Amino acid sequence: MTVQLDDVSVHFGRTLALEGLSLTVAAGETVALLGPSGSGKSTALKAVAGFVRPSSGRIRLAGQDVTDLPPAKRGIGVVVQQYALFPHLRVSDNVAFGLRAARTPKGEVTRRVAEMLEMVGMTSFAKRFPRELSGGQQQRVAIARALAIQPKVLLLDEPLAALDAQLRADMLGELQKLRREVPDVAIVYVTHDQSEALALADRIAVMRDARLVDIAPAAQLYATPPSAFTASFLGGANLLPVETFGDGVKVAGHVLPGVRATPGKELLCIRPHAIRLGDAGVPVRVIATQWRGSSNQLTCTVDGLPEVSVRIDLPADLQVPALGAQVSMVLPAEACSLVPAERR
Amino acid sequence: MLVWTKPGKALTWTAFALVFGVLVLAPFIVVIAAAFAGTWNGVLPSNPTVGHLQEALSGDELASLSVSLQTAFLGGLLAVVVGTWGALAAHGAPGPVARVADALHHLPIAVPSVVVGLGLLVAFSRQPILLNGTKWIVVIAHLVLMVAFSYGTVAAALQRVDPSYADVAASLGASPARVLWQVRLPMLRPAIASAAGLSVALSMGEVGATIMVYPASWRTVPVSIFALSDRGQTFTAAAEALVLLTATVLVVFTLDRLRGRAVEQ
Repeated sequence: MTVQLDDVSVHFGRTLALEGLSLTVAAGETVALLGPSGSGKSTALKAVAGFVRPSSGRIRLAGQDVTDLPPAKRGIGVVVQQYALFPHLRVSDNVAFGLRAARTPKGEVTRRVAEMLEMVGMTSFAKRFPRELSGGQQQRVAIARALAIQPKVLLLDEPLAALDAQLRADMLGELQKLRREVPDVAIVYVTHDQSEALALADRIAVMRDARLVDIAPAAQLYATPPSAFTASFLGGANLLPVETFGDGVKVAGHVLPGVRATPGKELLCIRPHAIRLGDAGVPVRVIATQWRGSSNQLTCTVDGLPEVSVRIDLPADLQVPALGAQVSMVLPAEACSLVPAERR
Repeated sequence: MLVWTKPGKALTWTAFALVFGVLVLAPFIVVIAAAFAGTWNGVLPSNPTVGHLQEALSGDELASLSVSLQTAFLGGLLAVVVGTWGALAAHGAPGPVARVADALHHLPIAVPSVVVGLGLLVAFSRQPILLNGTKWIVVIAHLVLMVAFSYGTVAAALQRVDPSYADVAASLGASPARVLWQVRLPMLRPAIASAAGLSVALSMGEVGATIMVYPASWRTVPVSIFALSDRGQTFTAAAEALVLLTATVLVVFTLDRLRGRAVEQ
């Protein structure tokens, strides 16, 4: 089932929470809505679920206009950030809730609940109450409950945000496995965490200030971000102003061989891990270092560009320059792309 | 605790015990002592007797206890139903409507209860609704006064319930009625049980409005206590107060146990 949003806007009173979002999610596709707080990503998800009413625009599921339909008539599975497991119902009753609402025969409810709990590995917890489960277990039950009604669309609103870092990493793997279990379901995944978006999504829609900024396949968006905001938000890229000469570019007066100038794109985008320290690069001065286990991150100022700082991920086995040391950063052409400067 | 030294702690506890003892415990102790007093001419009562208590548990006085319990349960529980419904309706209403509903529900406790009683007396003493002289005007008076407490308790609980529970239930295909009965109300069960306990307890002690509207056939314990005291039968009034106190504590304790179970679920 295809999810289609056509120019959807949502107002809360006088506040514009979502502005003119147009987006299509195909059956079997996972689209991540990625953005900072207040970017409108959760509002978009709530509009699709029917929890908020768009002030303009239309929402279609498999071509049918559902804009005016209540959530109960949409047949969409939803998992919210805090899972919202009904605290007075046991795990099995939570999973059975939607099936009973649809007046499914008792035997079918039992069979389906067992199937769902087995899928998420929670069979032995069927008789427990939600308060007796860990965060990760609650999340599995919430997914089982959402999938029990066999939705064609699954909406996940920051499902890992309430988990600690280790559990989040584990659950990310579980979600990838789940994706394979329901190959025909269209999934909309809301997150502010770029690693979740990159790991799970076929396409990523980057949002900011209630608007869609960019949308593209995850790998493409990461490798060649179309905007400075996406470059920065997705992967924390460095953005360095460039000067052009002919069809070549310079950074702080240093020519970058192999990087071709593009009209209207005045910023060089390069990821921290792609920068190397070496000879004949752009001179920078180390102002801070941060050990990150597998690497050291240097923060440097660029000589000739006092308003710009650059982050460089240095492999842990390389020696870390002293604070204040001047080093030379090499920007490999294959890791560089150009993006337009922000005009807000 | 802000006090760390031992003498400081001792002083604080002594001050607390004195204030609590004089203001809270002393009146209860005096009532209990008076209930068993044959005479009280000196500092302490003398000639202890259970006669007043026997009197309080027989005849018209025992009937008053039955009336009080019936009124408290009927009025209090109706108040819980009305207050819960009002709180749910106001919660889903637009801001200005919710604020008006909030003010209206709190109005009965914002004015003296005697005024509420007088208003009901005037309103229901003529056609088309003639309730004056029946027990129903007493029940309605208690209902009106207790609605504010029920409404307030449930409304406060509603503020704490994440709306995503109802949203998720709806997304699973539940009708609004199913969402209400199977998700929203069960989640409010502890608050509703608290509201019931509070309403019944307050209703057991209500006198201001009751005294304006009660018929001779439907006299509550607080009204009896007031009448006995007015006639100078202080010891019998104290015995009846002791009966009221005991009944209220038992009722509230039982309701609190039920509330505890609701929380556990």
